[in-house]
Amino acid sequence: MTTSFDTLSAGDVIDGPKFAVSRESIRLFCDASLDYNPLHLDDDYMKGNFGKTNFGGIIMHGMANFGLISRMLTDWAYPAGAIHRRLETRWLTPVRPGDTIQPTGVIKSKQTTAKSRWVLIDVTVRNQHDERVATGEAMVEFPQGKIRDITPD
Amino acid sequence: MDKALPAQAAFETDFWKDASLRKLWDDIVPGEARKTLPYTLTQEAIALYCKAVGETNPLYLDEAAAKAGPFGGLIAPPSIHILLMFACTPADDWMRSPGTINAGQSWSYNLPARPGDTITLQARALDKFIKRERLFVVHDNVFFNQRGEVICSGRGHTIRPL
Repeated sequence: MTTSFDTLSAGDVIDGPKFAVSRESIRLFCDASLDYNPLHLDDDYMKGNFGKTNFGGIIMHGMANFGLISRMLTDWAYPAGAIHRRLETRWLTPVRPGDTIQPTGVIKSKQTTAKSRWVLIDVTVRNQHDERVATGEAMVEFPQGKIRDITPD
Repeated sequence: MDKALPAQAAFETDFWKDASLRKLWDDIVPGEARKTLPYTLTQEAIALYCKAVGETNPLYLDEAAAKAGPFGGLIAPPSIHILLMFACTPADDWMRSPGTINAGQSWSYNLPARPGDTITLQARALDKFIKRERLFVVHDNVFFNQRGEVICSGRGHTIRPL
């Protein structure tokens, strides 16, 4: 079914991709993002050394959640002629090697403004235990015209 | 192309190196601009980022398909700012202190970044505060292309190592 601004309604669900997290996937994200924070490389780094925060082993980059949510949104928006315009996220629980995470989106509301049309989406990333590891909110623009008209190069 | 730019080839992956030179939470002045580095975004870097998050969209990866698509050529995924943030940050900057924890971010997207773009970053701490014995900084970041057009802008919170 083709997504369009007019047919969307609150409560509609966007299913995101499942993502298996491993030491290798975390390492690859280090290379791809240039974020070599030892939190993601060195199991022993945090032992006894970090005040209130100790994750007990390496954790996935929080921004990998962000990248995965973004992937879900763009794969949903582009075929509809829509543009991913904003994403806000908070991390709730660290993600570790061996976890499988999956983002989902739920349409919250639609807004028409003077020049365009917008869809607000609640996003959640859950792990294999159905725990929420990240939550956020996204905004996707459904322009009246074609994308090309508003993104000159 | 653009593979051998010295600033990019020399990216320091050991976050402990020069760690002692970096500003602590105590030294960070909200409002003060961070020193940043221009970065040339390559198709190779985009492809590697796509691989790391499982992106397969032809708009990012298939030149012919992208050319026929709505952007008239290859673009980077919006979340490429994850890479740009570190690529534009010098090794001695406090943003790269080991143990820095990302506590949440919001980003607004204007124009897509494209392969070959020279990206610049304007960044600063906007605020700092203490909450439940943790040291927070509010980040304020804007990325531009070589024409001075805004690609995206973001606000983030990090918890600083003690």
